[in-house]
Amino acid sequence: MRRRFGALALAAVAGLVFAACGGTAAQPSGTGGGPPIALGGSISETGNLSADATYELQGIQLAVEQINSKGGVLGRRLTFKYYDDKSDAGTAVRLYQRLITQDKVNFLLGPYSSGITQAMASIPNKYQVVSVDAGASLPTIFKAPNKYNFSDVASSETYIEQVLPIAKQHGLNKVALLVFNSAFSLACGAARKQQAQQLGMNIVYENTYSLPVPDFSSQALGIKNAGAEVIIGCTYYPDAIGIAQALNRVGYKPTMFAETVGPPEAGFVKTLGPIANGIITNTQWWPSLHTPGNSQFVSSFKSKYGIDPDYHAASGYAAVQILAEGIRRAGAIDQNKVRAALLKGNIPTVQGTWNCDQYGLPVGIKNYLAQYQGGVMKLVYPENVAEAPIQIPYTGA
Amino acid sequence: MPPSALGSLRSLTRRLTVGGATGVGWPRHEIALGVAFLVAAALIGLLTSGYLLQFATDIFTFMAMAYGWNLISGMTGYVSFGQIAFYGLGAYGTALLILHGHVPWYVAAPVAGAVAALLALVLGGVMLRLRGIFFALGMFGLVQILSILFSQWQFAGGGQGLILPGALTAHAVYAETVLVAIFAFALNLYYSRSALGLKAMAIRDDEEAAAAMGVHTTRVKIVTFVLSAIPPAIVAGLVAWNRSYIDPPSMFDPSVDFQAILFSLLGGMGTLWGPALGTVILELVGEQIWAQFPEFQLGLFGLLVVLIVVFFPGGVVSVLRRFGWLPRPVIMAPSELPRGSPPALAGEAGGDGPVLEVRGLSVRFGGVTALRDVDLEVRRGETVSIIGANGAGKTTLFNVITGFVRPTRGEVLFKGRPIKGWSVTQLAEAGIGRTFQIPRPMESLTVWENVLLAALNGRRKHAAVDQAAWVIRALGMEAIWLEPVVNLPPGHRRQVELARALALQPDVILLDEVMAGMNREEQEKIRDAIRTLHEYGVSAVAGVEHVVAAIVDLCDRIVVLDFGQKIADGEPQQVLRDPAVIGAYLGEAG
Amino acid sequence: MLILQLLVNGVLLAGMYLLMAQSLNLIFGVMRIVNFAQGTMIAVAGLFTVWLATRIGLNPFLAIPIVFVAMFWIGAIVERLLLRRITLRGTQGELMTLMVTFGISFVLINVALKAWGSEYVSLPYLQSSWRLGPIEFAKSLVIAGAFGTVLSAALFSWLNFTGSGKALLATSQSRIGAGTCGIDAGRMSTLAFALGSALAAAAGTVLVLVTPLGPQSGNDLTILCFVVIALGGLGDYLGAILGALVVGVAQSVLGFYLGGNVQVLLPYILLILIMLFIPRGLSLSRLAR
Repeated sequence: MRRRFGALALAAVAGLVFAACGGTAAQPSGTGGGPPIALGGSISETGNLSADATYELQGIQLAVEQINSKGGVLGRRLTFKYYDDKSDAGTAVRLYQRLITQDKVNFLLGPYSSGITQAMASIPNKYQVVSVDAGASLPTIFKAPNKYNFSDVASSETYIEQVLPIAKQHGLNKVALLVFNSAFSLACGAARKQQAQQLGMNIVYENTYSLPVPDFSSQALGIKNAGAEVIIGCTYYPDAIGIAQALNRVGYKPTMFAETVGPPEAGFVKTLGPIANGIITNTQWWPSLHTPGNSQFVSSFKSKYGIDPDYHAASGYAAVQILAEGIRRAGAIDQNKVRAALLKGNIPTVQGTWNCDQYGLPVGIKNYLAQYQGGVMKLVYPENVAEAPIQIPYTGA
Repeated sequence: MPPSALGSLRSLTRRLTVGGATGVGWPRHEIALGVAFLVAAALIGLLTSGYLLQFATDIFTFMAMAYGWNLISGMTGYVSFGQIAFYGLGAYGTALLILHGHVPWYVAAPVAGAVAALLALVLGGVMLRLRGIFFALGMFGLVQILSILFSQWQFAGGGQGLILPGALTAHAVYAETVLVAIFAFALNLYYSRSALGLKAMAIRDDEEAAAAMGVHTTRVKIVTFVLSAIPPAIVAGLVAWNRSYIDPPSMFDPSVDFQAILFSLLGGMGTLWGPALGTVILELVGEQIWAQFPEFQLGLFGLLVVLIVVFFPGGVVSVLRRFGWLPRPVIMAPSELPRGSPPALAGEAGGDGPVLEVRGLSVRFGGVTALRDVDLEVRRGETVSIIGANGAGKTTLFNVITGFVRPTRGEVLFKGRPIKGWSVTQLAEAGIGRTFQIPRPMESLTVWENVLLAALNGRRKHAAVDQAAWVIRALGMEAIWLEPVVNLPPGHRRQVELARALALQPDVILLDEVMAGMNREEQEKIRDAIRTLHEYGVSAVAGVEHVVAAIVDLCDRIVVLDFGQKIADGEPQQVLRDPAVIGAYLGEAG
Repeated sequence: MLILQLLVNGVLLAGMYLLMAQSLNLIFGVMRIVNFAQGTMIAVAGLFTVWLATRIGLNPFLAIPIVFVAMFWIGAIVERLLLRRITLRGTQGELMTLMVTFGISFVLINVALKAWGSEYVSLPYLQSSWRLGPIEFAKSLVIAGAFGTVLSAALFSWLNFTGSGKALLATSQSRIGAGTCGIDAGRMSTLAFALGSALAAAAGTVLVLVTPLGPQSGNDLTILCFVVIALGGLGDYLGAILGALVVGVAQSVLGFYLGGNVQVLLPYILLILIMLFIPRGLSLSRLAR
């Protein structure tokens, strides 16, 4: 938490300064049609989720800034008030109530990670405040009765869903499934398992693990022993690395090697070096995509923060785009009107055109496959947007 | 509040306390603090909603957890890094009851608390056999085990967690949370003023010595462990309902536990008010400070733990105590030391046979023989001295008789019954009292509590108070009876040791170097006491190395041990003239 | 052949565990305390090594002396400023020092988070294996294991055959006895804690080559180390070898047959079982006596 009074005082002072300046500085012409529209959220600035959550925060802040510079929404500026939830669900629950009842924010943006979003998901419903959640991929969160929550993240069940069909086309049949013991990975693992069965593929190795596994050699031996051709890893970052290292140590190269979360992070290839080459992973967004405003997003993110955005940044950015457009179409700060507008969908974002089903789950947010090739990650699937063709087999070191 | 009203309130609470009086009574500020907490809790419940109410709910949740931890770790000294296990069990119990039993949440949480208590009974039987660091880390391990087990248990949602139907019934959840916190406080209150609490604190100070005073250590530990599991389990059920989603990582999260520990430490571990003060202070004040440095929260947390443990091991309460506030009440201390009545003669029950018989006793530690084929007989009312150099086997002999060491061969008979397999506690209860070579009084307790602890063995409260008072008077300790032992000089500590053993009202009392390091005046007091034992038919066996002269005229018989073997046994004057004895022991001792 | 490979992996893993755990043993042996910050010291040293390697291009093995000296002084300061002030003895004293080192671990984690972020890192170094017939020997594990064994041997000979080592060993056996022989027990405690910290740091340097480490991966390592030395009998330098073998081989074999969850649970289950049934551990020294 929580910068309570300190942050409040700062915000108050900042507000006074703005008022005193009479909108000369940051206020572009055309705004001033009323008080700012307050968005609020909790972000894991510290704790074990902070790395990805920080990208999401930066995406949100950039979007707010850009929307304001274009005149805001309904002639009013947007503000984003946030607190640090320390990657803790209990803290997040408290903070969201604070945002609604103390800070009186108009709309919410979700926290990072499915677990924390799940914990706060009943709050928007209780207070009837629309929340667009950019950090949760578990579909169960959004099923009734949480009808004020919307998501702009593809469901966890769809991660690396194109891998197995491609493998099938290449005549591969033996699948190894390694699943990390967390809500998100288990949902993904279950979906991939079902998919493999539907495709008539043979699951020759299946293992669920908890962290920290000191050394994945035993699993790697199991995979080698089973002669798996395709490895599906529903992973996070450290285990994504550990599995690749262990496979290399036991000297086994599968034909296709895919891991869900982990490979897109910058440290992955630095740590693994050539072993990373050929590893396939999932991404919901890519800088080279020709989605509305994407190239501008990439360049302004880079110039503001000095780093390249990743898909967490894009989903944070898109969440603000979706919410702002919903308000604009509703024409008022009216939760039910905004909710109705969002349910109609068809909102352009950097992730593509956003639509949702009756639960607020996104329709049309695509998953793409990316692959390390020569030490660089490239978008490889679907073919119409690919930067390079997918490389099979996995090369490794 | 007018003074008269306060006065009547005090007399009311005084009447409510055990035996009509306590040593310290209920200080005004303690009642005021309690009332302040209750009024604040009620006002928050009536006046706030939303965030503030949630914040207050979180505070009372942590308070309940801190109090739970304080029972097992603060009172009993078994520092646990895994009370969050019961938090998780409570959350899952509540969730499953709501989902599958269709039990309303406000019933489900307490029921889950009871279930967690039952599980604690089972787990406690295993885990409490570990001590110190092993227990602390073992509990930490248990949490990891439970977390993974729950992630594999599909009925409980597995790794994907469980979604609960209802949520955010804020005021009702708050009210129940406050009730649980009050319940947890009441448990601590009971421990700080009851015989059970005294036994728990004795275990914290010295578990073996407590057992030698007849404390059923295992039973006390398990009861405490079970009680300490209830508050976290119930509040977790409320958290689960409020949050409407639980999964293993968030419900078995050690960092939540560590927060509760920190609150308890900051307030004052093992004190009645520590957990409440620590929780409120850190949540309100500390978080304002941390909020200024969000990126250094972990480090500040760690630094705080270090600074408190190193520089303020007693936390806030210990600082307040320097000003005389929130003192620890002396358990069951009468406002004035009663006259006490001498115990009934012990001699009647046992008949004429020897009270204690040792037959062919041998003890080997690895390759070292500590005792070889020792025989010993002690008759009722007899005083026997066992003399021998350091390492001759006196302490080992005492340790075998009191159940601390198992013999390699041979047997010990107490009042004609073999005591093979009896525990230290059982032997103390049966009537074998002892003192330790290096005194082991309970450091954090007063003289009175040390003596009372032993007097409580098999007695009701009034009889125990009477017995303790008599012992204190008999040993002439009236001047120091309310002193904490930690302030006493070594001579007085030996007196406390003897007083404790005496308060057990044993048939036989084993005195290990009871006069070592005493001045002449103190020795005289002990000599008087040993004579008193005589009068009440209590047999005494004194192990002596140096101050032979001081005891020789008191004893009926002298036994000499040398390198684990008995070399003489008989009338004092006769033994002391024995050339073998002079050669082996007295000669070199000068 | 598969089982042979699993056993080899287990033994190699054991070497790595030994490397990590031996310093915890040293500290416990002399000071009767468990350094809860052990795992975090290992992790932080690993992160520091990666930083040195990526920023300055320093070979990880050349980084060992640097992290060794740095952590030696951190350990010495911690002992002098903090641990020394805990006057309680016995179980309560043990627990208080456990709490203090627990707090220190959080401070170290925070420092590491600020310096290097929360990501797990490793180095692309020695990632392949040597092949001997049908058996693969992972290079990083072989080197870690060799390092662990050499370290244990060095520690053992230093304690038994040199003046300063004997003084330390004497202190571990009896503080009072050592005091009467003119050994400054306080100095010995500082030396033990500093040396233990430094050895943990050296282990971290090697460990980061084997598995990715993050600032927060320390606590699990501490437990693992504790299990290894508890299995071998706390404070028993030779027993720890046996302890490491049991944990390593069991993890390798059970990991293969029962999966990754069991692998992670194993140290905790072993911890509780050992403490219940063989509280003194599988002490080699005692057997030898």
